[in-house]
Amino acid sequence: MASKTNGLAANALATGTLVTDTTVDGRAYTDDGVFAEELVRIFTNGWVFVGHSSEIPEPGDYVTRTLGRDPVIMIRDRDNTVNVLANRCAHRGVTLLQQEVGNAVSLPCIFHGWTYGLDGALKGMPQPGGLSIARDDCSLDRPGQTAEHRGFVFANQSGTAGSLEDHLGPGGIELLDWASDLSPVGSLDLNAGWLGQEVSSNWKMWAESDLDGYHLGSLHRSLWQVVPDSQYQAAVMAGENIVKATTRDRGRGHVELEFWRGYDRQLAWLGVPRERVSDYCEALIERVGAERAEELLWQGPPHALIFPNLFLGEMNLAIIEPVAAGRTIHHHTPLLLAGVAPSFNQRVLRQSEAAMGPAGFLLPDDAAAAERMQVAFGHSGGVMDLSRGTNREVVEANGDRVGHVSDEIPGRGFWRHWHHLMTDHR
Amino acid sequence: MSDRLELIAEVEAFLYLEARLADESRYAEWLALFDDQVTYWVPKGRADYDPTTRVSYINDNRNRLETRVKQLETGVHYAQTPPSPMRRVVSNIEVTEQLDDGLVAESNFVLYEHSLQASNELRVWAGHASHGLRRVDDSFLIRSKTVEIVNSSRSLPTLAFLL
Repeated sequence: MASKTNGLAANALATGTLVTDTTVDGRAYTDDGVFAEELVRIFTNGWVFVGHSSEIPEPGDYVTRTLGRDPVIMIRDRDNTVNVLANRCAHRGVTLLQQEVGNAVSLPCIFHGWTYGLDGALKGMPQPGGLSIARDDCSLDRPGQTAEHRGFVFANQSGTAGSLEDHLGPGGIELLDWASDLSPVGSLDLNAGWLGQEVSSNWKMWAESDLDGYHLGSLHRSLWQVVPDSQYQAAVMAGENIVKATTRDRGRGHVELEFWRGYDRQLAWLGVPRERVSDYCEALIERVGAERAEELLWQGPPHALIFPNLFLGEMNLAIIEPVAAGRTIHHHTPLLLAGVAPSFNQRVLRQSEAAMGPAGFLLPDDAAAAERMQVAFGHSGGVMDLSRGTNREVVEANGDRVGHVSDEIPGRGFWRHWHHLMTDHR
Repeated sequence: MSDRLELIAEVEAFLYLEARLADESRYAEWLALFDDQVTYWVPKGRADYDPTTRVSYINDNRNRLETRVKQLETGVHYAQTPPSPMRRVVSNIEVTEQLDDGLVAESNFVLYEHSLQASNELRVWAGHASHGLRRVDDSFLIRSKTVEIVNSSRSLPTLAFLL
């Protein structure tokens, strides 16, 4: 699948000069050449999140997604394998599926009637006597590598990115395990569908603002005026020297906000007392043991970015879809858990609707800030400062960088990895 | 004038009033048109699913609708600071159900929004609204409102104003 994008002309702007340890040149967000190069170096040559296997529980179930700008199908085969296939007829390049989600018994092309199986192999075509290439060459394209961890499906189009385990690292794996372990059967059940928010900004502003712990008290002040008792007040906004929440750079571009360190009680993230969900608590203890269960009940789900496009946003999972240098779609789905009562997941859904999406109470303000950044950087640049907290960041024994919740450790971690991928390090 | 025409004229006047208050971001006056028990639903795509199990753009009860309006009233909800200049045209109004204590009215709308908070785009919103209206004296209160936006089946731009 890499063949069509690998031939892009080298960018005139030297991407290696855009980022320092603490600054980013605005053209990293606005330059079309930088965007085109990101599609190659990050979204083609690297690992990208596609979807979760729980979204397609039955054979033939599919969702359509994009890897960078390339449309793909994630579909469950009859033998239960999850396949990621190019959503593009191998003959003349027509998309095979137009719907966002559905079930298919085969994948027919509307143009000349070529038909593919759920594994992408060509099953048939009208008038096969004229076929002048080998039938085996007529399968749908696939990413060079596809791999799964705890149901999280990732793809690497070029096939050259090394193993998924290397991409995730211990930090990324821990985050995916953590989100999954919150379920009393150890599995997510993402069946509530996705909503997308269209934003006139670069995709990287979402990787940043989703992981920015500094802006909650200012950009989102309207919400705290109206809902003064959320779990975030104590965790993030109690005063610079009082708050206990922290930021963490786990390396490889995977970065985190540890709100949970500032919570004042267990289950603050769910907003219910323990007795209301006692069945859930008992089942969790049964599966992971009392020690880890008590920890999980305090922490709730993670708030982290898995580089480059997966946001584990507490009660939400989000995909950051790059559309153009100045266009992004931020998709999200509620983090529904397998093995819990319907009322539990309904609560998660309600929380998700309150926070996320075009009409949520939080993301519209983030979109306004991102769009105004895009305007502010204009064409010729300007430089963004990301130095906050370099005076007090700590490097832990495993290499994680940790700091105050308001410090720009996640931003620096994201951009350090971006810089690594966008320069000729190989 | 027949009873039927009189009823349509009454419903029209009410929907036009609601549209004008929303267009002019007159939040409290708009909210006053809603009943104590209310469902305000903006589904993803068609309104043909159970909103307790699938995501929606908006699925407000009275409490959450009040929070929505209060957030706008703070003046620092930056996605609507300043409020978008808007004008909507409401048309194709039909009374599809008459009940003992009210009625159901269906209508179409086209809405032009200037998103001057950031990107300065003119955004066009089009869709269908279904209003459940309760008769109160010589007017109505909205007890349910469902808005299907024609292009909402995948994604939408910021929708922080009152629809």
